[in-house]
Amino acid sequence: MSGVKYYDLRHVTGQVTHIDIDNGVVESAGTSFFNKAVLRVLNGTGWGVIQIDNFTPCTGKKFDDLIESAQKLAGITEEVVELGDVLHGILPVPPMKEDPRSVSIEEKSSLLAEIEEAARHPLVTNRRANYVERTEQVRFMDSSANEYSYEICRSGFNVLAVASRNGNVQMGYEREHTIHGFDLRHQQESGKKAAEIAVALLDAGAVKGGKMRAVLDPELAGVFAHEAVGHASEGDLIHEGSSVLKGKTGEKIGNEILTIVDDPTLSEFGFDPVDAEGTAVKRTEIIRRGIVNAFLHDRESLAAVGNGIAGHARAMPGEPPLVRMSNTFIENGDATEAEIFAECKNGIFLKGSRGGQVDPGRGIFQFNAEYGYLVENGECTKMIRDVSLSGEILVTLHKITLCGNDRKMSAGYCGKGGQSVPVSDGAPHVLLLDAVVGGSGVD
Amino acid sequence: MRWWVAVEWIEELIREGQKSVDEIEAFYVEGTSVSADLKQKKVNLATTSMDCGLGIRTIHKGRIGSSSTNDPHKWRDCLAAAVASGKFATPQTWHGLPEPVLLSSSSLSFDPALVCDPEIARDLVRQMLEGAAEHPADITAGSASLSVSSVTLANSHGIRYEDHQSGVSLSLEAIHRQSTGYEFDYSSYIGDVDPHNVGERAAFYACKSADGKDIPTGDYPVVLSPLAYAELLSNVFIPALNGRSVHSGRSRLATLLGESIADPLIQMYDDPLLPRASGSTRWDGEGTPTRRIDFIRDGVLENFAYDLKTAYRYDKKTTGSAVRGGFGGLPAIGHHNFIVDGQRGNIFDERVVYIHNVVGAHTANPMSGEFSVEISNAFWMEDGGFEEPVRSAMMSGNVFDMHKNIAGLSKESRTIGSLILPSIKLNKQRIIGK
Repeated sequence: MSGVKYYDLRHVTGQVTHIDIDNGVVESAGTSFFNKAVLRVLNGTGWGVIQIDNFTPCTGKKFDDLIESAQKLAGITEEVVELGDVLHGILPVPPMKEDPRSVSIEEKSSLLAEIEEAARHPLVTNRRANYVERTEQVRFMDSSANEYSYEICRSGFNVLAVASRNGNVQMGYEREHTIHGFDLRHQQESGKKAAEIAVALLDAGAVKGGKMRAVLDPELAGVFAHEAVGHASEGDLIHEGSSVLKGKTGEKIGNEILTIVDDPTLSEFGFDPVDAEGTAVKRTEIIRRGIVNAFLHDRESLAAVGNGIAGHARAMPGEPPLVRMSNTFIENGDATEAEIFAECKNGIFLKGSRGGQVDPGRGIFQFNAEYGYLVENGECTKMIRDVSLSGEILVTLHKITLCGNDRKMSAGYCGKGGQSVPVSDGAPHVLLLDAVVGGSGVD
Repeated sequence: MRWWVAVEWIEELIREGQKSVDEIEAFYVEGTSVSADLKQKKVNLATTSMDCGLGIRTIHKGRIGSSSTNDPHKWRDCLAAAVASGKFATPQTWHGLPEPVLLSSSSLSFDPALVCDPEIARDLVRQMLEGAAEHPADITAGSASLSVSSVTLANSHGIRYEDHQSGVSLSLEAIHRQSTGYEFDYSSYIGDVDPHNVGERAAFYACKSADGKDIPTGDYPVVLSPLAYAELLSNVFIPALNGRSVHSGRSRLATLLGESIADPLIQMYDDPLLPRASGSTRWDGEGTPTRRIDFIRDGVLENFAYDLKTAYRYDKKTTGSAVRGGFGGLPAIGHHNFIVDGQRGNIFDERVVYIHNVVGAHTANPMSGEFSVEISNAFWMEDGGFEEPVRSAMMSGNVFDMHKNIAGLSKESRTIGSLILPSIKLNKQRIIGK
């Protein structure tokens, strides 16, 4: 292993149990298994990486041969990669109230069926409920003799209701995902709510696009924090030069009431006990009182860029780590919900999220609400559907003028570089001035 | 097929499974890939992967069970999990897995000349960088990868099919001041990609989009590039052609069979037998021989896509549309090479807004078809020439309704993943300025 500056190995085994119920029919239910590893080696230049399915831990010559193959691969790289100095360490995985693995699949299936059944309504043409439970056993080791292992189980459900009337088709969608254990009990309300929203949307109007005041609910404001700020603060993007936040450390880019944080230590869906390169995780204030404070880093981007905190490397099993968010949120302010609506006066109130996307180099983001209401004289009136917002990172953050005191986190998944990792986003209710709203309504 | 090489453990798996269930099917994929990834202009990361995956499906008295693993040595555990999973499934009408038929053994999407060599990946990256050097943009990231895989399908009716696939994938990202450009290429055949062009186009879009002007809100003649069109089609329109969505009440097209749902010039079909196309295959993900399926002919909706499970349940015939997602993936309804065609013409005969890409198409409403997305790399275009760039705006509409008002299709088509699409012209498309 001569010439090896660094190596690490991350081996993940586990199983996924799923149940899919579609209009009362159990389409599929069962368990699948995976076993994946990724070995990364730094020689004199860049990374040589070997991804191995069905990995058998090995030592001695067999392991040395793997390192040598990765070294050879690294021979085609040109950039000299340096790794920043970091603290190592692992947090305990929060205990589960009820381990899903102790519940039989028959019971899970009948509980899920109750949620799906609760979405029954004369105008609902399709009800679909999914349960997924994923257990990962993670083992990490590196060339500096750091070794960690942990097990984490994430589980949850989605329920979809599709309502239809005279060719008008609308949907309501509810989901709950958690690291805190089995959560299928007493959740029929979610099915009912999905149906109610789908049916109500049949009578909702399309909003006319343009600039207006918008109140964002905690879920949507969380997605805003994720898309508008989180991605652009990822150290690998800053390093590449594809983020408008590059070189902006210490600059005021938003209203001083705005503090945006990524915190992998929080016991939320994006919790990480240790990052994917063995670095201890730490709360990172990306924006503090409107000022660019700290970027999210892995060891490579910490060394290359600085001005931030490492411990944000994450990876899907068998994939090389990337700089990722974990639990991203806007900190509470001191406004009440009533004050926010009063200040909005006339505009729109947007709830829920169908996701979003950002071009961090251009500094432009887009995200979409599940539904909303017109706000007239501080009161929610007519329901509206299919509303998107877009904005420019360096402009929009100045336009958040009120933050509520009711922060709530929502679980989801985030995609980057072909990898999807569990995250949570959250915020209190916020008021956004001059929101650029896209809707298909016309005069 | 004649080049079936008996894989002993798969034969044993089939035999073992038949002891406890009526029918069994095993799908096994094994592959390798290499890639070279750029950080700015230098290769920073070289990767090789060795992938494998096994998916098992069992059918017993109409109950379908399934499981997967990427540890083929543990096929017995996987088989036990599949059999157990079948016990929880609701029984359905089932008329059997396919019987073997004699199919040509030549692969439609395998290039014997494609070798997974890291030096070749690095060379492809260098050619992209040479292309990008034609414009003064900075390179931020990029990648070239090469892959080969073999796919094996076996079932208890005697199907023993094997196929080989290969792929080369290129992408480059560029930035010029605060303007970004992205381009990519993919093919099964190494000679069919153009790395120089990928680099040149990425840098071109970054440079040409800089210093854009605002556009007032209004309805404009718009041309959507194949890439922008693919985003809207794949997130909204194509899922609505899925037989399962149709019969379970999740498709707006469910009741419209035989009706005109698009401009008469529009043809939409899946051609799984197109030579050299990356989605081409002679048999689908559960062994049904593939054939062309016409979804829309002259604007009229003619067919939906089915796999065996959905076809048996709703008394239809499978269209050979089962596809497998990834390594060890289970079959689901999809397509092989989804093509939009029709009479081609000059769609640049007036001044139009040309939209190269969109941001956020996955947030469109897949049921109603409503979308509002941010546009990117948009330009005013005259006689096909790029003129003034549009800085930032949103585009809103309805993907289904949009197809009734397609004013023309470009002469050229482009492959975007498994879609082969022209640029489309829309006469009155709503754009929301800022």
